[in-house]
Amino acid sequence: MIEERMETDVLCIGGGIAGLMAAIRAAEAGASVVVAEKGNVEYSGCGRMGNDHFETHIPEVHGPDREAWIEELLRTAKGEILIGKDLLRTQFLRAYDIVKLWDDWGIPMKYKGRWEFSGHSFPGRPMTHVKYEGRFQKKILAKEARKRGVTIFNRVMMRDLVCNGSRVIGAVGTHTREDKLFVFEAKAVVLGTGKCSRLYPPLTPGWLSNDPHGGSQSGDGRAMAYRAGAMLQNLEMPQRHIGPKYFTRFGQATWVGVVKDRDGRPAGTFVTKPDRRYGDMICEVNKLAPEQYTNAGKGPLYMDCTDIRDEDHAYMMHWMENEGYTAMTEYMAAEGISFKKHPIEFATYPLRGGGLIVADENAKTSMDGLYAAGDEAFGDISAAATFGYISGENAAAYIRVIGKKNIEKDNPVITETRRLIDELRGHENGPDWEETSVALQQTMSDYGGKIRNAALLKQGLQHLRRIRSKARNTLMAKNPHETTRCLEVLNLMELGELTFLMALNRKETRGLHNRPDYPFTDPTLNQAQVIRKIEDKAILDWKPY
Amino acid sequence: MPPVIDSETCIKCSKCVEICSEDVFYGSKKGEVPTVTYPRECVHFNGCVSVCPVPGAIRLRIPLPMQLVYREAEPTS
Ligand SMILES: Cc1cc2nc3c(=O)[nH]c(=O)nc-3n(C[C@H](O)[C@H](O)[C@H](O)COP(=O)(O)OP(=O)(O)OC[C@H]3O[C@@H](n4cnc5c(N)ncnc54)[C@H](O)[C@@H]3O)c2cc1C
Repeated sequence: MIEERMETDVLCIGGGIAGLMAAIRAAEAGASVVVAEKGNVEYSGCGRMGNDHFETHIPEVHGPDREAWIEELLRTAKGEILIGKDLLRTQFLRAYDIVKLWDDWGIPMKYKGRWEFSGHSFPGRPMTHVKYEGRFQKKILAKEARKRGVTIFNRVMMRDLVCNGSRVIGAVGTHTREDKLFVFEAKAVVLGTGKCSRLYPPLTPGWLSNDPHGGSQSGDGRAMAYRAGAMLQNLEMPQRHIGPKYFTRFGQATWVGVVKDRDGRPAGTFVTKPDRRYGDMICEVNKLAPEQYTNAGKGPLYMDCTDIRDEDHAYMMHWMENEGYTAMTEYMAAEGISFKKHPIEFATYPLRGGGLIVADENAKTSMDGLYAAGDEAFGDISAAATFGYISGENAAAYIRVIGKKNIEKDNPVITETRRLIDELRGHENGPDWEETSVALQQTMSDYGGKIRNAALLKQGLQHLRRIRSKARNTLMAKNPHETTRCLEVLNLMELGELTFLMALNRKETRGLHNRPDYPFTDPTLNQAQVIRKIEDKAILDWKPY
Repeated sequence: MPPVIDSETCIKCSKCVEICSEDVFYGSKKGEVPTVTYPRECVHFNGCVSVCPVPGAIRLRIPLPMQLVYREAEPTS
C-alpha cells in the first residue's frame, strides 16, 4: 500500500461544523491547517443538509443576566448532557459572536431581518434557540476554510493518533476509495469526529442505516483518543431521542404540532394547539413518552399538526427545509401524506452510545497537542461551532510554542495500521462489517441495554471480547470502502467493551443507566466516571463535573 | 433500492458521486451513469437529489422499513 506523508501545523480530523470552525480559526491565526474528512466536507456530518436551531444568549434580547439564562437552558434537553457549568459559561460568552460571524459569512441567522426565537423553550419562559437558515452552512464553512488557505482532504478516514509520550504528534489514516495510507505529521490535532451512533441496534433491526445521524459517526475520535491515552467520560450513560417513526430524523423542535394519544389527548401540558413559537416541549421533557405509552397499553402517540394554521404550516415547511427534512417532505408529497391531514406517529428512538472525550474550556483534552470539539466532546450546533472555534484558536497558540517532532518511518502505530488494513483486505470467508455490526449491536442491546445488572454486564463483556477477537482476526474487506466500514466497526467494538466496563463500575441507577441490582441513585456518584488507558490497562476513576 | 437514477436523463456529471457522505456510489467512474454500489448504506439525506442539475434524474426510493406511520384522516361527522 502506498503511503502519502504530509506536514501541517494543525490537523483537524472530521470536517463537520466543529472541524471546519477549528480549521477556519487556526488558519486565521496563522497556522497551516489540514482537514481530513471521511466523506466530503460540503455534505458531511450532522449538518450536511442543514440545521435550524442555534442556542445563544443575546444580551439585547435576553438582558445582561447570562447566568439566569443558562439556568433556563438546563431545564431543556441541554440538562441531560453531563458536563460542567464552566463549559456552558465559556460557550455562551462566545456563542453570540459566532452567530454574528456566520451571518457575515452568508449563513442567514436572522429571519425577516430580526432575531427569531422558537422551539426548545417553555411557553412563557425565556427563549433559548435562535432560528437560522442552515441549509447551505457546510458549503459556506468549507468555502471560508479554503479562503483562509486550509487544505481539505475528502474521503480520508483517520484511524489512529501518533504520540510521543503524552504528546500527540500526528495521525495515520486511509483513503476510502484507494489503497493508500495517509500519515500527517502535525504539531496539534483537533478531533471533530461527531457522535458514537452505531453501538446499539437501530429502530429497524438489521437496517443499519436507519439512523438519524447518518452512518459515518462511529465514535472513531473517541476510540483513537482512548488508544492514544486520552481520558473519556461517561460512556455508560446512553442517550435516546424522539422523532418520526420509522423515518428516523432529529429536529423534533422544528415540528409545529401537539403530541397526542389515539383519542386526541395531549401527552404533555405545554400546548394544546400547534404553536409555532414553542412546538411541544413534551418531546424534550420526556423522550421516552412514546415507549411508555406503548408499554402501558396506551399507544401509539402521534405528532399531530392537523390544527395548524396555513401561515404556520408555511413557516414549519420553511424551517424543515433548513433542518435537513427534504427527503421526508418530498416523500410525503409523493405519497399524499400531509401534516395538515395526518397525525404522524412518533417513536422513542433506541439507545445510542453516550459519553465524550474529556476536554476543558480551551477544548484541550488530557493530552498535549490534542483538542476535541463538537459531538465528540459535547455537541449541538452552537457548542460544535463555538468550541470548534475555540479549539482552533488554542491549537494555533500551542503550535507557536512547541517544536516539530518527526514521525519515524517504522512508528509502531503506523506499522500496526498498515498491518490491520492488509489483513482486512486479505481475509477470505470471514464476516463482513455488516454481520459484525449486527453481532455487536445485539450484544450491546441484550447485555448492556435498557436493563443492566452485574451478571448481564459481565456476560456481555465476555461475549463481546470473544466476538471482537474473532472479528479482528477474520473480518473481511473487499475494497477500500469496506475497509473503512470495518475500521469503524472495530472502533465501535472497542468502545462497546469500555461501555461494559464503565457500566459495571457505576453501581447505581441514574438516567438511562438502569441497574435493578442497584436501584437507587447514589448522590456520591454525582460525578463523571472517566476511563483512560495506562500501560495497556483500562483505568477507571471519578471526577467532579 | 435508494437512490434511483434515470439513466436516460442523467448527464453523467458525477455530482452525486462527489458529495455522498456514505459513498453509496463507490466505484462509479467519471463520465458514466453512477452505480449504486451500496444501496443499503444510503441514509436518505437527499444530498444527491439536491445537487443533481437535472430535476428527476435521481430520486430516493424510501425503503419499506422506513415508511412513515400515520393515521388516516377520520371523516368529520
Ligand atoms: C438532522 C439533524 C438535525 C439537527 N438539528 C440541530 C439543530 O437544529 N440545532 C442544534 O443545535 N443541533 C442540531 N443537530 C445536532 C447537530 O447537528 C450536531 O450536534 C452538530 O452538527 C455536530 O457537529 P460536529 O462537527 O461535532 O459533528 P458531525 O457533524 O457529526 O461531524 C463529524 C464529521 O467527522 C467525520 N468523521 C468521523 N470520523 C472520521 C474519521 N475517522 N476520519 C475522518 N473524518 C471523520 C464525519 O464524516 C463528519 O463529517 C441536528 C442533528 C441532525 C442529524
